[in-house]
Amino acid sequence: MDSSVPGGQRTLQKRRNAQLQKEKKANQTPASPRQAGFGGSSSSILKLYTDEANGLRVDPLVVLFLAVAFVFSVVALHVVAKVSGKIF
Amino acid sequence: MSGRVLDLFKPFEAYLPEVIAPERPVPYKQKLIWTGVSLLVFLVLGQIPLYGIVSSETSDPLYWLRAMLASNRGTLMELGVSPIITSSMIFQFLQGTQLLQVNMENKQDRELYQIAQKVFAILLTFGQAIVVVLTGNYGKPSDLGLAISLLLIFQLIFASFTVLLLDELLSKGYGLGSGISLFTATNIAEQITWKAFAPTTVNVGRGQEFEGAVIALFHLLAIRKDKKRALVEAFYRENLPNMFQVFSTIGVFLSVLYLQGFRYELPIKSTRTRGQYGSYPIKLFYTSNTPIMLQSALTSNIFLISQILYQRFSTNPLVKLLGVWGTRAGAPAGQQVALSGLSYYIQPPFSVTDALLDPIKTVVYVGFVLGACALFSKTWIEISGTSPRDVAKQFKDQGLTINGKRETNVYKELKKIIPTAAAFGGAVIGALSVGSDLLGTLGSGTSILMATTTIYGYYEVAAKEGGFTKNLVSGFSEMM
Repeated sequence: MDSSVPGGQRTLQKRRNAQLQKEKKANQTPASPRQAGFGGSSSSILKLYTDEANGLRVDPLVVLFLAVAFVFSVVALHVVAKVSGKIF
Repeated sequence: MSGRVLDLFKPFEAYLPEVIAPERPVPYKQKLIWTGVSLLVFLVLGQIPLYGIVSSETSDPLYWLRAMLASNRGTLMELGVSPIITSSMIFQFLQGTQLLQVNMENKQDRELYQIAQKVFAILLTFGQAIVVVLTGNYGKPSDLGLAISLLLIFQLIFASFTVLLLDELLSKGYGLGSGISLFTATNIAEQITWKAFAPTTVNVGRGQEFEGAVIALFHLLAIRKDKKRALVEAFYRENLPNMFQVFSTIGVFLSVLYLQGFRYELPIKSTRTRGQYGSYPIKLFYTSNTPIMLQSALTSNIFLISQILYQRFSTNPLVKLLGVWGTRAGAPAGQQVALSGLSYYIQPPFSVTDALLDPIKTVVYVGFVLGACALFSKTWIEISGTSPRDVAKQFKDQGLTINGKRETNVYKELKKIIPTAAAFGGAVIGALSVGSDLLGTLGSGTSILMATTTIYGYYEVAAKEGGFTKNLVSGFSEMM
């Protein structure tokens, strides 16, 4: 009866479970294609980057804007070349 | 010893752009929007010609690889997804063969592994862009001038970089599935649609004819007096896409979809909760389209090397043994094809008559494709982490066991089934590819198979997330 934890054995069990869950979350492997997106046993050759690294973090919207800006700049180059009649 | 090679990539960590993962799951509709917008950007990139090209009219040495790499000649998508695919393939082989030891349970290792993969992809992009421009693909570098050459290289690098980020964006959870397979499948679908419905006209000596098969059918029926001969013409015209090819494409598409449903279901039960039963499906296409992708990567690389060698040393007997290249009737217009040597035997025949005229070649070709696919499929399960051992571990982690078997026997049981399924599935996919090449589908058999399996994968994902079908593969998902 001198268990140091209020609630006794049951609380300990709960805590152990919670700890297990936490560890599981920390060590989660997205290596299987099921978790990474594609279901079933049809694993594709293309494994996916699903982990977070602490690199230069970019917002997805920025990616889209950059892509569109790039497309426009190339189009602009084409237009300028057509109008001025020569390359550069 | 283990992390030493990986640790080399550590300093790059701070400089690599990285898409922020979504903080909470993205709703299905938003996912659709992200996927659509990225796809749109990709398609636009594949249409805009590179700025500064003088000409790109030489024979295309990468012809066999184009469909696989989602690349369009002379456009910003010249490199397509090839740097990403190449780097991921190399790293997976290194990891699978234990040459590069990565502990996938360790978060630090996993991150480094991905950084290494990305750095390698970027390096490959640099290398390929420089090689493409310097080898005179767009006109001699001396004619282009330094400024334009640099500009071309810059455009190629930036475009590939954009694709890398778009792919990451999609696979991080903003979109559905992986970006690369989406891009590849779209590119193939675009080519097939173009061949079926192209409104451009070509003159082949009998007046103007439409290039697209379906449009040509109606056009021929409308203008020819003899309707029966017009129909025959529309179905069997040579050198241009015809209706027969359209129908065989649809046939191959449907048969792949039909075979996708083939699976062996293992009855499983939970060891934790009594009375919970389900089934674990082992598909016939256990490795999906991977074997055919690896097989076509292998052959295209052999073709590439053989062509370059033949151009340089066309009299060397060893080079001739590898392949003699030239143009031939019945082949795609203006394209170099193998005429003899090893390359000839692993090159798909162009039609049924072509296959019948040289039965030895046909037999060798079929044997090679089926064997290679089965072999690649069997090795792939080890590399990709879907081998019997991995599945048995997955079962154990989730507290599952095969019904009526002891927990310790799960591995033995899986070992009986999975390798057989993988090898047989690989061979079936190889056979489908050979079959569609012989029938003469629009686009090569490999590309159609890749597109179909990817589309089916997307259908599965959409069904799971959108919830418009109850369960494609019933049983297992309820237990997870």
